[in-house]
Amino acid sequence: MNAHVFKLCVSIKRGSSMTTSMLKRTTAVLLFSALAAPVLAEDVTITVWAGGSNDADAYRIDAIEIAADMLEREAAIEGRDLNITVEGKRDFGGWEEFKQGVTLAAEAGKAPNIVVTSHLDIAPWSQAGYIVPAEDYLDFDAWPLNDIYPNLLEIAAYNGIQWGLPQDAESRPFFFWKDTMRGIGYSDEDIAALPDKVAAGEYTLQDVLADGKKAVDMGLVQEGYGFYPRPSNGPDWGQFYQSFGGTLQDPETGKLVLDKASMEAFYQFFADAVDAGITRKNHLGTDWGQWYSEVANGKAATWHGGTWHYARYTGKEGNDDFFGTIEFSLIPAGNETGRANTITHPLVYLVTDQENDDHEEIAAQLVKIASEPRLNSLHAIKSAHLGIGQQQSNIELYANDRWASEATERLLINANAQPNNLDYGAFSEAMFKGLEAAWTGVKSPTDAVAELEAELTAKLGDNLIVQ
Amino acid sequence: MPRFNALGFGFLAPAMIVVTLFFLAPVILTVFFAFTNMSTSTGITGGEYLLTQSDLRGLKSSELSDSTYETLENSGYLIDEAGLARLAETRDQATADELARLHAGAQFDSRRDMERALKDLRDNRIRSTRDRKALAELFKTSVMDDRFQTRDEFVTALSAAGVPDADQKILVKEAYTGWVWTTENMKLLFSLDSSWRYAMNTLFYVVLTLSFNVGFGLFLAISTFYLPPTIANTFRTIWFLPRILPPVLYVLMWYWLTWDTGIISSFMSLFGMAPRNWMLDTATNAWIVVILINGFVGASLGMILFSSAIKTIPASMLYASEVDGANRWQQIRYIILPQLRWPILFTSSYQTLSLLTSFEYILLATDGGPGGATEVWALAAYHTALNNYGGNLQYGLGAAYALVLVVIGIVTSFLYLRFFNFKDLVAKPRIEQ
Repeated sequence: MNAHVFKLCVSIKRGSSMTTSMLKRTTAVLLFSALAAPVLAEDVTITVWAGGSNDADAYRIDAIEIAADMLEREAAIEGRDLNITVEGKRDFGGWEEFKQGVTLAAEAGKAPNIVVTSHLDIAPWSQAGYIVPAEDYLDFDAWPLNDIYPNLLEIAAYNGIQWGLPQDAESRPFFFWKDTMRGIGYSDEDIAALPDKVAAGEYTLQDVLADGKKAVDMGLVQEGYGFYPRPSNGPDWGQFYQSFGGTLQDPETGKLVLDKASMEAFYQFFADAVDAGITRKNHLGTDWGQWYSEVANGKAATWHGGTWHYARYTGKEGNDDFFGTIEFSLIPAGNETGRANTITHPLVYLVTDQENDDHEEIAAQLVKIASEPRLNSLHAIKSAHLGIGQQQSNIELYANDRWASEATERLLINANAQPNNLDYGAFSEAMFKGLEAAWTGVKSPTDAVAELEAELTAKLGDNLIVQ
Repeated sequence: MPRFNALGFGFLAPAMIVVTLFFLAPVILTVFFAFTNMSTSTGITGGEYLLTQSDLRGLKSSELSDSTYETLENSGYLIDEAGLARLAETRDQATADELARLHAGAQFDSRRDMERALKDLRDNRIRSTRDRKALAELFKTSVMDDRFQTRDEFVTALSAAGVPDADQKILVKEAYTGWVWTTENMKLLFSLDSSWRYAMNTLFYVVLTLSFNVGFGLFLAISTFYLPPTIANTFRTIWFLPRILPPVLYVLMWYWLTWDTGIISSFMSLFGMAPRNWMLDTATNAWIVVILINGFVGASLGMILFSSAIKTIPASMLYASEVDGANRWQQIRYIILPQLRWPILFTSSYQTLSLLTSFEYILLATDGGPGGATEVWALAAYHTALNNYGGNLQYGLGAAYALVLVVIGIVTSFLYLRFFNFKDLVAKPRIEQ
């Protein structure tokens, strides 16, 4: 298909300026009469911005370059001269800088063609018109998109529209340091049985408190290192809310849910951990570098993290025997109403709205090709993420990696995601503020939940169900 | 009669430009943003009309008539005569006939199902994905999920879909994706408990830091005044370091000092004390660190201003006081401090205003922690408007926070001017009257 057809076709897509059905029909007519237009050389620069990406995540951009090479070759065989230059950028100061950068660039009409970002950005960015639906350009019934796990695709959809493609998958496990567990009386078989016991709800967060306490009391770990959570805000905290029976979104109405009892139990758990000396009172705000080095080398008895931590523990932090020193499981249930769970927070490839719609089409083709099992496996294994498609288990690189296959089996199939909802950002910020207040003893868990309820009711109004 | 002096105006112009760009424009924009519901999802530059599933769900129990709700909810793609005619016109009659044979009258909720129906064509295959998507659109009966550039386009589409006028108004309001004027931000701000806590935190922070700034700045200026010049200059240079260090580096040094792996903890461990985070252990710790971090920066500026002001006091006055038998304290009390009135006014007003709005050192040091204990108003504005892990930044609400600071800043300036009797201070010397 030549450049003219690209141009004509785009006005048919949803999200473009020509939206009335009359125009659509006219352009459709034009489309088919333009098929005989002459062949033109086409030079396209595609910019890719990847948030939250370090060296291990280089394939978020590199895969697009490989895809560009493939697309150029396909075009050449069809007799088109297509030259794609891919310009990648991933050296952002942090998520905030990246997100501000993307939104401001989009407002100025200079958005990068492809962004790699949290799926939570889909709701606000689609509403603002910064991104265009991937389904405007791609056939999700065709290879390789029909091989992607449906639950991951669902996470990249919002309001019934497929906005993006999952770029990777991950989940957020609970970790045990085996030596410490042995020290407090677990046999090797007991430790190996932990993941199943956690999944069955037989080992709960109350057991974490008990075991953490033992480890501290016996001097196996320092005070405050019995349970060593993530030191900052992030998707992980929703897991503990779910552990105590909370749900984030009502499946019927799509509204966010504040389950007060579950929230309070969740806050109480962290307050208890601090009171018992298992978790440090001033833990939040700990430097990530310090945190990684401590958990990867056995300073903490139990902690929680992400599947991608595997790369950091075994790489920079120098833990040469991951499976010999660390056991991992779902986040344990907190009480009878809750369940063992894990949250997956896939990054997604999104195609942004561009002045020149040809470039949207090319960008969509590139992210499609980059989602091929072999290409995605490069990223998955290099960065210790999980695959997005079923066929990746038939790619040797992926199948031979013990971490990827075990984590996929044990965690990913049980994973749920945070909801794509315009107000979820406000919800999760307020939830974390409440946790911080209860954790540091500034407020009691009951007061923290009361303030959370007041704040969310005021801010979210009808979009919140309080239970 | 005053003459228009172009040269004078020319000299003033740079200052006017700076004041306009860096003071007036931000203030005007803050006022403007504060009365909008602007956020990431509304964008900054305006909106379009887009009706989504979540918009529709939000309208379920509203005034929208049930029939409209159902029409919209159940509309999607319909293979009817009109659509087939369009297909015949766009593609060819054979394709339309085959589709009619396979799926005439079929209705689909989603575009993907419509595309699947087109894939069923065998004699007249549509091979290209792009063509298929284009042709699927010919059968669309819904106004949902389309972005309409203008209100008129949207209303026309609603009318075509048979939505009654009364419902159209509700839908137009709901479907608008841009920002609208609102006073909700202000109402929300004054109804939240957290606002009052931020206000008290800010008051506490400004009063204590300001007292430290001015008090310690005065102390440094006066004590170095009585030192031999070389030593005095050395001391002043050392105390000026916090001001000239980049904030990130300066706060990093506080980390090294106060964190549980830092200098204080290491030193105290010599005496058997368990390491603790002296910056974030308790709210009191955090406040002490925050006030000291900001205090030293402010004190160094005060020191320089006060020192130079002291130097302008005629030495003869000090000699005369010594002849009269005044001791050091009496010199300070009756000669130096009265002459420092103007610099103290300037430092106090300047520091009050800058402390009210400055949050960078707190952001870097405690980020408002522990548990929001050191979250001051300006930091809350920043967090609301520019920092949100979940993605939807609240520009409007953040600006409402900032607007309160602007108002307080202006009111405080006037109070200071009255309190320090500004007119007297700038009065012409008697000799010129």
